[in-house]
Amino acid sequence: MTNGWTDVANADVILVMGGNPAENHPVGFRFVMEARRKRKAKLIVVDPRFNRTAAVADSYTPMRAGTDIAFLGGIIHYAIENKLYHDEYVRLHTNAAFLIKDGFDFAEGHFSGWDDTKKNYDRSSWQYELDAQGHAKVDATLENPRCVFQLMKRHYARYTPEAVANICGCTAEEYKKAAALICASGRPDRSGTVLYALGWTQHSHAVQLIHTAAMMQLLLGNIGRPGGGVNAQRGHSNIQGSTDMGSWNNLPGYLKIPRANHQTLDDYLKANTPKALRPNSMNYWGNTPKFMTSLLKTYYGKHATKENGYGYGNIPKPGETENYGWGFFFDKMQRGGIEGFITFGMNPVAGGPNSPKMLDALSKLKWMVVVENFETETASFWNAKKLGDKYYPTYKDPSEIQTEAFLLPAACFAEKDGAFVNSSRWLQWKRAAAPPPGDAKPDQEIMARIFLRVRELYEKEGGKAVQPLRDMSWDYANPFNPSLEEVAREVNGRDLTTGKQVNGFGELKDDGSTICGCWIYAGSWTENGNMMARRGQEDPTGLGLFPNWSWSWPANRRILYNRAAEDAEGKGWDPTRTPIKWDGTRWTGDVPDYKGDAKPTDYGAFIMLPEGVAKLYAADLLEGPFPEHYEPVESPVQNPFHKNVSSNPMAPVFTGPNDRLGAPDKYPYVALTYRLTEHFHYWTKHVASGAELQSNFFVEVPEELAKEKGIKGGDMVKVSSARGHVEGPALVTKRIRPLKVEGKTIYQVGIPIHWGFIGRTRGPLVNNLTPSAYDPNSGTPEYKGFLVNLEKA
Amino acid sequence: MNKPRIERFTFPERMTHWLTAISFVYAGLSGTALWSRKMWWTASVLGGGETIRAWHPIGGVVFALLLALMFRRWATQMKIDADDRRWLAVSHKYAIHDEAGVPESGRFNAGQKMLFWVQSVSAIVLFASGIVLWFPELMPRGLRLIAILTHPLAAVASLGGIVVHVYMTTLVVPGALNAMLRGWVTPGWAASHHAKWFRAVQRK
Amino acid sequence: MQKVAKLIDTTLCIGCKACEVACQQWNDQEFTMGVFNNTYQTMPSLAHNFWNLIQFNELEINGAQSWLMAKYQCMHCADAGCIKACPAPGAIVQNANGIVDFNQDNCIGCGYCITGCPFDVPRLSPTTKKVYKCSLCSDRVAVGLEPSCIKACPTSCLSFGTRDALHHNASKRAEELRADGHAQAGVYDGPGVGGTNVIYVLKHADRPQDYGLPKDPHIPWTVSLWKGPVKWLGNAVFFGGLLTALVHYIKVGPKEAHRDE
Repeated sequence: MTNGWTDVANADVILVMGGNPAENHPVGFRFVMEARRKRKAKLIVVDPRFNRTAAVADSYTPMRAGTDIAFLGGIIHYAIENKLYHDEYVRLHTNAAFLIKDGFDFAEGHFSGWDDTKKNYDRSSWQYELDAQGHAKVDATLENPRCVFQLMKRHYARYTPEAVANICGCTAEEYKKAAALICASGRPDRSGTVLYALGWTQHSHAVQLIHTAAMMQLLLGNIGRPGGGVNAQRGHSNIQGSTDMGSWNNLPGYLKIPRANHQTLDDYLKANTPKALRPNSMNYWGNTPKFMTSLLKTYYGKHATKENGYGYGNIPKPGETENYGWGFFFDKMQRGGIEGFITFGMNPVAGGPNSPKMLDALSKLKWMVVVENFETETASFWNAKKLGDKYYPTYKDPSEIQTEAFLLPAACFAEKDGAFVNSSRWLQWKRAAAPPPGDAKPDQEIMARIFLRVRELYEKEGGKAVQPLRDMSWDYANPFNPSLEEVAREVNGRDLTTGKQVNGFGELKDDGSTICGCWIYAGSWTENGNMMARRGQEDPTGLGLFPNWSWSWPANRRILYNRAAEDAEGKGWDPTRTPIKWDGTRWTGDVPDYKGDAKPTDYGAFIMLPEGVAKLYAADLLEGPFPEHYEPVESPVQNPFHKNVSSNPMAPVFTGPNDRLGAPDKYPYVALTYRLTEHFHYWTKHVASGAELQSNFFVEVPEELAKEKGIKGGDMVKVSSARGHVEGPALVTKRIRPLKVEGKTIYQVGIPIHWGFIGRTRGPLVNNLTPSAYDPNSGTPEYKGFLVNLEKA
Repeated sequence: MNKPRIERFTFPERMTHWLTAISFVYAGLSGTALWSRKMWWTASVLGGGETIRAWHPIGGVVFALLLALMFRRWATQMKIDADDRRWLAVSHKYAIHDEAGVPESGRFNAGQKMLFWVQSVSAIVLFASGIVLWFPELMPRGLRLIAILTHPLAAVASLGGIVVHVYMTTLVVPGALNAMLRGWVTPGWAASHHAKWFRAVQRK
Repeated sequence: MQKVAKLIDTTLCIGCKACEVACQQWNDQEFTMGVFNNTYQTMPSLAHNFWNLIQFNELEINGAQSWLMAKYQCMHCADAGCIKACPAPGAIVQNANGIVDFNQDNCIGCGYCITGCPFDVPRLSPTTKKVYKCSLCSDRVAVGLEPSCIKACPTSCLSFGTRDALHHNASKRAEELRADGHAQAGVYDGPGVGGTNVIYVLKHADRPQDYGLPKDPHIPWTVSLWKGPVKWLGNAVFFGGLLTALVHYIKVGPKEAHRDE
């Protein structure tokens, strides 16, 4: 979240789209309720289903799964057309005035630079027009046809309410009503927030979709404002923390992973340290060398020297364009390209898309280690033919599977201390409530024991990893079970000269004299102690920032981009809700997202970006600088805007034996999957209280479709896709309305996830149905909006 | 001792009657505990609340079955005829032993017949409503609501009849209790209380 | 002693069922398999081992899609039908704080309370043959804690306090809703049963049935009739009968056989 849960109470307009907080974030949802009661905030829900959130909303607009960019692009059009955007904010805080190179264009579904043979873009035509100093040229009047604002206006001119309604399936009247409610937050004295979750991230165009939301919020002047922002409600209790601490393509703190084309630290830093694009840009990522050097020094300790690039050579480097995202990784596994697999708290057979593909891929492994609280479908994938009931009749017999599978019992969250990082970016320290049962061990002990053993084996037997493993710093009091306090202190970082914990990332250096395991967490455990364990309930600003409750990254800042809540002179757009105030010498209030003593006019408000302002136009995304509506990979219609480029041209395409796609003639209905409030993913089916509240699998079927098929509530139905099928009772409902798209009636079918072939309550794995379709930027699977058929079983 | 005896009730009749009476007393006593919290002491006497909850319905079913036997045996003899109707019209005179103008009775006088019918009808109601109350979890709410009122109402009717019956047979008509216990009456008793029946017996 | 109460502001209920879990856990209930009934409900109705159920009601109100969610549990009536119908002393007690509590040690399992309850709440266990229902966590309340459902509620839809204070809050909230344009908003607290210690705020107070609540709850008239006039009739018949017999015997005496052959 740019803002945070408690801040939602400051909103006047709350758009919930691509999320269902009443269902999946019921605790955070109290702040939505507070905004409604205290500020008379309007709650607007846009969703394929009239869901639990819609049940308490002021406005509900139905839409077809996978058409969010059309919906939001239409809001951009509506705001510009009706002059509802926050003009002064847009001029001051966005790149609306930046000029784009001549040659940038969009036509017939492709931006300029498309190479149809390589199926990729040459992005050179998307760049800013630069002056002699390397700064972007701007037109403050916003009238130059090559400025971002004019290009944006032209790009979204097609997104009229009628065109959007035709794509999304609601009526143009409904759409205009929702648009008016959303755009009401464009006034300087009002703020609007956007709450989203996996309903936005699980598309083949997800990153662009969230970019559209950011653009909309920038136009309406809602970024950086209390009660504003673009707020991702994270789907797991610590998924924010796991993202912050790195993934296959990010090192901790969102430092990019070294690639094979950057063999030295200098190469890496040269390529990944941005240069300011405007004279007043603070360009904070210019400090990348400090963050990276401190991280390497944390990893390799005394083995990290200036001479060896602080051990940079030890980090494995994938090829320049190599992708190890979920889809690619499992595709490689299915092709026999991966020997072993260790999975901590992950259940790919259940949670991954295209379960039959996951099952086949795992069977190609030599060995697999599952670290879990319970026996999962993944741990017992080799027995899927038997356990999986009727769903995998052609799957291999256990005797034909050579994978050696290990299940290591792990402590669950309540049996460990450590910090959860919630959606608000708060690092909340917790204590273990009970010791782990039986042989279960905390993750860090399991990891440490594997690490030490593997290192020993390499020392003894030799191999490629001897040096990296030997160099790894491992100075924990108990090397077999490092305490999480020790790790947290290491993550915060320390000055090696003084031996003192650093107070923040401002103290990090690029000369190897500081360590820091994740630069954005610097300040979480200082010489004053564990800041994450704080539980102060003071609220000096009255804005619900609670600066003494736990610790929020970065720098305990509660509202990101809070400098954008003020005008050029530093006066708040809404004087009653100003997160930071300029008192003539320094900023007070929230931790400023700005230099603490810099005059309001010194820098642009978006200090992290080389532009110094927020990007309405972002040339760094793969499929184009402006988001465009693309149909899901499986869609009942061809893209009404450009039939020949219907779905995202950059979405990865897989061609394995399970990667079949369905067409609307055989699979006419749109399906989407989701979680229910009673459950936590595939986990609670092992827990009595979670499983009992919604023990039965079901399929939500629109009343009209049920009538057509002669299905009554409770009748068994079979839902099938090109990948597999599921069976369960129909929940016949009015809450999923049939939609009119391109003159056709489109039915959507809702399928909740949770069940599987292991657990207290069992049922089909819904991912039998889902396609191997992914977002090209993030690698997130497309669970919302794929094609199925439905018949009475 | 050597007075002539007339058989009033056969052995099976007497057995049926007394078993019915015992089951009635049990169902009635346990029923009063369920009827009113002030009568809860009867539950204590009979083994506690859970015991009577379990056995009251069974006692009731036994009562109903035995009553059904009595019904089969006596129903034809219990038909109300013209004499009975006249008897009932002047029953207040019967009550004060002013027998003039009170029609002679057969084996059963009209009062006894009334008792029979009151008991039969209330037994049917008690049985039907009792089944409903026995298994509340299986019964629709509407039925339970009817049963919860009709069961005590029928019990009141039944009890009212029995109060009169017991008083009449123990205190008002000497020899009546003996007739049901031992089975015989004297000719004088028969002639006095059931003249028509006495003559019929004599004719045989 | 002040009466305690639970306030359920249905306009804030999101049907998350946290109250259901809290209830099950606090009361040490065993795992029960839910029963699908074409809704999101855990089961079609309450059960002897499931005392707190969110009902989901999908319907159209004035042409607009609605999905009403309301918690369903014992209402803790001031004039409690269960107590009225219960024959077993001490099986159902009404505490001074207004909580209507079942004591299974004294329960005989007759199920009269089930029939007496206007809200259809108590449930008979097929195994123990005793009746169970929500106790408003009388064990927690006795030591100054709020009931477990209230503790678990994430949206503040549920609150706990004195009946007077909550009644005030409820009326204020209903007023607020009416001011927001929900003309039919109101408070539901069962005046027909002397008031309930569970108070609802309903956006559509004119149609409580849509929330699974009876329109005008009162103790069933057959139960009232039984526990009132029929009881007196019975007393009259029995004791009147005895008295009449006594008077008759003393005044008129036995009917001697007057004929002898």
